Amino acid sequence: MPIQINKGVIGKESPPFVVTVERGKIKEFARALGDDNPLYLDDQVGQASEWGDVVAPPTFMTTFRDGADSGAFLRELGTDISRILHGEQEFEIFRPIRPGETFVCRSKVLDVYEKTGRSGPMAFVARETSVTDATNEIVAFVRHITVVRL
Amino acid sequence: MKYARVYFDDVKVGDELPPLVKGPIQQIQLTRYAGASGDFNPIHQDDEFAKAAGMGGVFAHGMLSMGFVGQVVTDWSGPAAVRKLSVRFAGLVRLKDTITCRGRVLAKSSKDVTHLVDLEVWAENQKGERVVTGKATVVLPPRE
Repeated sequence: MPIQINKGVIGKESPPFVVTVERGKIKEFARALGDDNPLYLDDQVGQASEWGDVVAPPTFMTTFRDGADSGAFLRELGTDISRILHGEQEFEIFRPIRPGETFVCRSKVLDVYEKTGRSGPMAFVARETSVTDATNEIVAFVRHITVVRL
Repeated sequence: MKYARVYFDDVKVGDELPPLVKGPIQQIQLTRYAGASGDFNPIHQDDEFAKAAGMGGVFAHGMLSMGFVGQVVTDWSGPAAVRKLSVRFAGLVRLKDTITCRGRVLAKSSKDVTHLVDLEVWAENQKGERVVTGKATVVLPPRE
């Protein structure tokens, strides 16, 4: 019996959350990717660069999490972590981000739709997070499609 | 030369980026990526959980592969140049897989003083199957 996905979440906005970028987290993230680019890892290279400091890798904003129970959203959707796959991901980045910066993240559910693929019926949950800096400028949009195996 | 500066004027449509080979993927890298990214889904750590979920065993975070695809771009353009990175996860990456990331120049455009290069990017496993497909946009400096 396929599970039912709650389409009532479409348009839902999560409470905004604040993140501060930690220098060590940038380096930990780059090393976990096996990426030894000195503009991530070497503070002196960062200081000598046009950015004045190390910068974060393009996918670093995946670490921006609200600390809330991520299972709660899946329960509201009508599923759980064992059924989800990552379908698509996009980062639209207006400028690089550096250690010590604080950002406000606002997430909303853009769409929920169903399709039947080779491996059976699936639901697609599209979400977008906007990332704004201390001057209220948009720094990035992070877009994400989660696939739920029904 | 790795991290050499690339200038907008020197890039041609159809140019290929130097390929980046990652792996073989080991469990320790998935555990490390979980800690670094905050994605602790047990489907990437616990083989029994992954089998019970019908996935046939542990597989890598999609975001790890996307990070590899990001690196094939940033090794070429520099980390601060990326304006867009967009991917679809087309296949699972398993333990012991070797992932080769590639990119190709699709288009060039200039608006005022901003010079953009659009790339097709992808990652393939040792069987040549594409596990990630996508696009990237980078901003490159002009020659004076």
